[in-house]
Amino acid sequence: MQHPSSPTADSSAVFSSPLSTPSNVAVEFRQVSKSFGPHQVIHQVDLRVAAGEVVAVCGPSGSGKSTLIRLINHLETLSSGEILIHQQPTAGLSGKALRQLRTHIGFVFQQFNLYAHLDALDNVSLALSKVHGWKVEAARNKARELLERVGLADRAHHFPAQLSGGQQQRVAIARALVTDPSIILFDEPTSALDPEMIGEVLLVMQELAHSGITMIVVTHEMSFAREIADRVVFMDGGEILEQAEPEQFFTQPAHPRAQRFLQKVLFPLRSAQEQLIKKGDVDGVAP
Amino acid sequence: MAWHLDWAGVLTGQPLQWVISGFLTTLYVTLAGSVLATVLTVALLALRLTPGKVGRGFVAAYVSLFRNTPLLVQLLFWYFAAYGVLPQTWRFYIGDVHPWAVLPVNVSWLTPEFLCATWGLGLFSAAFLLEEVQAGLNSVPAGQTEAALSQGFSRWALLRYVLLPQGLANAWQPITGQYLNLMKLSSLATGIGFSELTYQISRIESYNAHALEGFAVGTALYLLLGLVMGWLLVAFGPKRPREKKPWLLAVAKSHGGQNGV
Repeated sequence: MQHPSSPTADSSAVFSSPLSTPSNVAVEFRQVSKSFGPHQVIHQVDLRVAAGEVVAVCGPSGSGKSTLIRLINHLETLSSGEILIHQQPTAGLSGKALRQLRTHIGFVFQQFNLYAHLDALDNVSLALSKVHGWKVEAARNKARELLERVGLADRAHHFPAQLSGGQQQRVAIARALVTDPSIILFDEPTSALDPEMIGEVLLVMQELAHSGITMIVVTHEMSFAREIADRVVFMDGGEILEQAEPEQFFTQPAHPRAQRFLQKVLFPLRSAQEQLIKKGDVDGVAP
Repeated sequence: MAWHLDWAGVLTGQPLQWVISGFLTTLYVTLAGSVLATVLTVALLALRLTPGKVGRGFVAAYVSLFRNTPLLVQLLFWYFAAYGVLPQTWRFYIGDVHPWAVLPVNVSWLTPEFLCATWGLGLFSAAFLLEEVQAGLNSVPAGQTEAALSQGFSRWALLRYVLLPQGLANAWQPITGQYLNLMKLSSLATGIGFSELTYQISRIESYNAHALEGFAVGTALYLLLGLVMGWLLVAFGPKRPREKKPWLLAVAKSHGGQNGV
């Protein structure tokens, strides 16, 4: 892991991702900590994400992964440390400067959070017309293009309540892309979906990956982490315990907690049974 | 005593003139009071949402003062106490006859009674409207705010384009009820000698003792005004998306069933 005082190439050469020069680092965490009251959820995290890179953040519930990406666009405020976006420090930003930063960072929520009073088209176009001063028709034209890109051109005039979960999340991705952000953050984008709708959302994300946009994806979707991501970041207890290429992470995880986590995620039934047996031994009860 | 209804005692001649004048006066003061209440509600909401304790403290004091005291007492206060504090030149000016301030059927809005009634009704209703709008805003899920903030919306744009459209739609029924209350409560302005509908009906009663017919007509006119106002407010008020296009929901469902994307 990189130390903040040595942002040199060698420390990041461990990863195959193109982190060779500091100038193409899109997001950099330096000794970032976050507490909610007395409860510290992020412990001095260092992390660099290269421009155009696709990073999957995995870890058990409560490990701080959602908080980690919410810190990037200031949905949560830092307790200490610094986050640089394209080499620019962001810690003290407020008002207009913060709003400007946020328009460069798309955010996709677990619960979609589409504007309930607007149809799909206006959900996508609203920020362009009301934040960026575009003419309504021009904004809608761009929104139409994006809805087409996520395969929902025929749902433009449906309200969120009239769309399936998968469709809502695809509209939400279109909405996050409407300001042409250089970075897009996903907070468990498929966790609230019925299983048969996960694929359509992953497909849109796959098409987005390696199109030049930087993607940081908090996910329990191991197929995404394995097949699409450039790098897997494993978090537990508010710390990054392991970072590796997907192949390496899934076949030979180094950290014991990463190993345990993968066992539980990949073989949920077997690992639960094993745990039950272990517990039975300890309690002296026959399994 | 046998029922012997004589509608001509209310619906002809001088009594009819009074009924028409009273009905339109009630309509005028309702419109003026509603406009004032709406403007005040927006101002109070802005003050409450502005950072800082002073604004929020002022709004809290305002709401508890106007919600917890009788409207009749408030009207009496404005008319008999506060109005007298105005500079004498103002009061003389308002007391004069101003042809440009006369509305149809010879009702002037530039009179102490009309101004005090409008002022009292507006201030009183704003306290209730504010809390109803606030309840509507509170009903909008936090995720809507996060989505808008993450897209770079300012606090004002967030309120104007995301929270208010949803909050007002959620709270529209109680808000409609509050405007109807304002209309009905204008009858209390009889207490300051304001010649609105209730005042004029009482006048008929003392003129020819047609109490039953008079109050029956008055009640019917309040009912008519309430029904029309309620219908207009619901018809042209904000709607939740499901109410807006029920047919679209049906189309979407039948469509989705055939080719789930």
